[in-house]
Amino acid sequence: MKNISLYEDKDTFLHHLHPNTKLLYIIVANLVPVLIGTHWVTTCFIILSFLFLLCGKVAQKSLPMLGFSFMILLTVIIIQGIFREGNVTPLYSFWGITFYREGLTFAVFVTLNVINILLSFAILVLTTKPSDMVEAFVQLGLSPKIGYVVSSVFQIIPHMSEKMATITDAQRSRGMETEGSLLIRLKAFVPLIAPVVMNSLIDTKERAIALEVRGFDLSVRKTFLHAQKRSKLDKMGQTLLFLVLILGILWRIIVC
Amino acid sequence: MAEIQVEHLKYKYPLTNKPALYDISFRISAGEFIGIVGENGAGKSTLCQALTGIVPHFHKGAYGGKILIDDLEVKKSSIGVICQKVGLVFQNPFNQVTGAKLTVYEEVSFGLENMGIPREEMHKRIDSALKLLGIYEYRKRNPFDLSGGQMQRMAIASIIAMQPEVIILDEPTSQLDPQGSEEVFQAVQQLTKVGITIIMVEHKIEKIAQYCDRVILLKDGKLVDFAAPQVIFSRSDLAEQGIVAPVYTRLCQALERKNIETGYYPVTLQEAQAVLQPRREN
Repeated sequence: MKNISLYEDKDTFLHHLHPNTKLLYIIVANLVPVLIGTHWVTTCFIILSFLFLLCGKVAQKSLPMLGFSFMILLTVIIIQGIFREGNVTPLYSFWGITFYREGLTFAVFVTLNVINILLSFAILVLTTKPSDMVEAFVQLGLSPKIGYVVSSVFQIIPHMSEKMATITDAQRSRGMETEGSLLIRLKAFVPLIAPVVMNSLIDTKERAIALEVRGFDLSVRKTFLHAQKRSKLDKMGQTLLFLVLILGILWRIIVC
Repeated sequence: MAEIQVEHLKYKYPLTNKPALYDISFRISAGEFIGIVGENGAGKSTLCQALTGIVPHFHKGAYGGKILIDDLEVKKSSIGVICQKVGLVFQNPFNQVTGAKLTVYEEVSFGLENMGIPREEMHKRIDSALKLLGIYEYRKRNPFDLSGGQMQRMAIASIIAMQPEVIILDEPTSQLDPQGSEEVFQAVQQLTKVGITIIMVEHKIEKIAQYCDRVILLKDGKLVDFAAPQVIFSRSDLAEQGIVAPVYTRLCQALERKNIETGYYPVTLQEAQAVLQPRREN
């Protein structure tokens, strides 16, 4: 079956960390730079996150995530560099277009923040099984229903796309053209999508019944098959992260 | 040990004019193996869903009469409460997979987690349910990677692990090969020995005849008959009810050989053999 989650199954210490620890890292990595307010802290966390990703052997997979945001960041740099309000110090210009220092500084600030957020989340998403992640959220107090929606998406979407392929084959075997020019594809779209949608609705109703008879709606306090495994490393990591957070807050109070 | 009492049950789906179930009354004692037969649209699935509370709580619609599982009244209880007493397995194994779990083992745990069963107890129940259905070796597989038969057995295991007192199976073997459905029947029969009541809708009529203590015959939402398989399948109006008798019964009917002790036609191979053999010896 196709896998739509970004998780990569590897055997590193990051994969064995409890999701809560990684969650705490995200909070710290994004909050501390705000508290201290310099680019350098953000840069430090970016480097740290990247080192973690390297340790988790998932650095390669995080690059496409950065690539995806690259276009947006590029526009931020161009727009802010040229048009930002308060642009006064020209830095360099070519073809009659001038980039200003203030705008570019701001753009760099935005870029660093975006990369920091992306990489810190990448650690959680790339090294945590989606089901573990959702379970951790549910144990932290997320509604099990929302948890179900999130975790079922990872399995049911691939299942639906498999069904789509089956229906495509079925329609093709009845002589429908599904390949060729844009017009042909558009024409093929309706007879394909209708059965898929109808099928999904029926499936959803049946699955809802199946969930009901498994006690999904019970208001009893849920238990969990897997024990929350908090290793020594988790405890150490969480203590350290809390310390950093407290130091950041103290810094803010003292400096201001 | 649950006794089921159905009194004057009437039900109409929303946006329909015809009642799906009309004035149905019967009583099932604990540990019985009950078969439900009837042509398509006779109300078999609706009856199954009524016993688990899906009708009327999930589908809504007009509802009359009452169903008692021991002293639990279905109309007045939520599905969550009823499902701890009455389990439901239905036709399509794919749609019974929750989709939230990555392995067979975790999939079976879904209901138990919702019920708040302690972890050690959960492991015990899951292991025994998986072993009972013969899918213990697949416990680490992804539920969607199983074959239809294995998936259906997983669905049954998921219900069995919840340890209901009544298990309702709505055409559980329609997607299974002969060997798979035989395995399911054997496993289900094991359950009756520990006092679990089984109610099963099934089109494989020979299996119904072989395993069921009593059979409910439905037509157009009405209860036509509720009796031992021999009585049901010996009815002369069976064709009008949209049912084909087991092959052994048809054979003995053609030969006009009834079981002298009961006065009905045989319904199983063994019974037919016993009835037919003496003549050959003569």
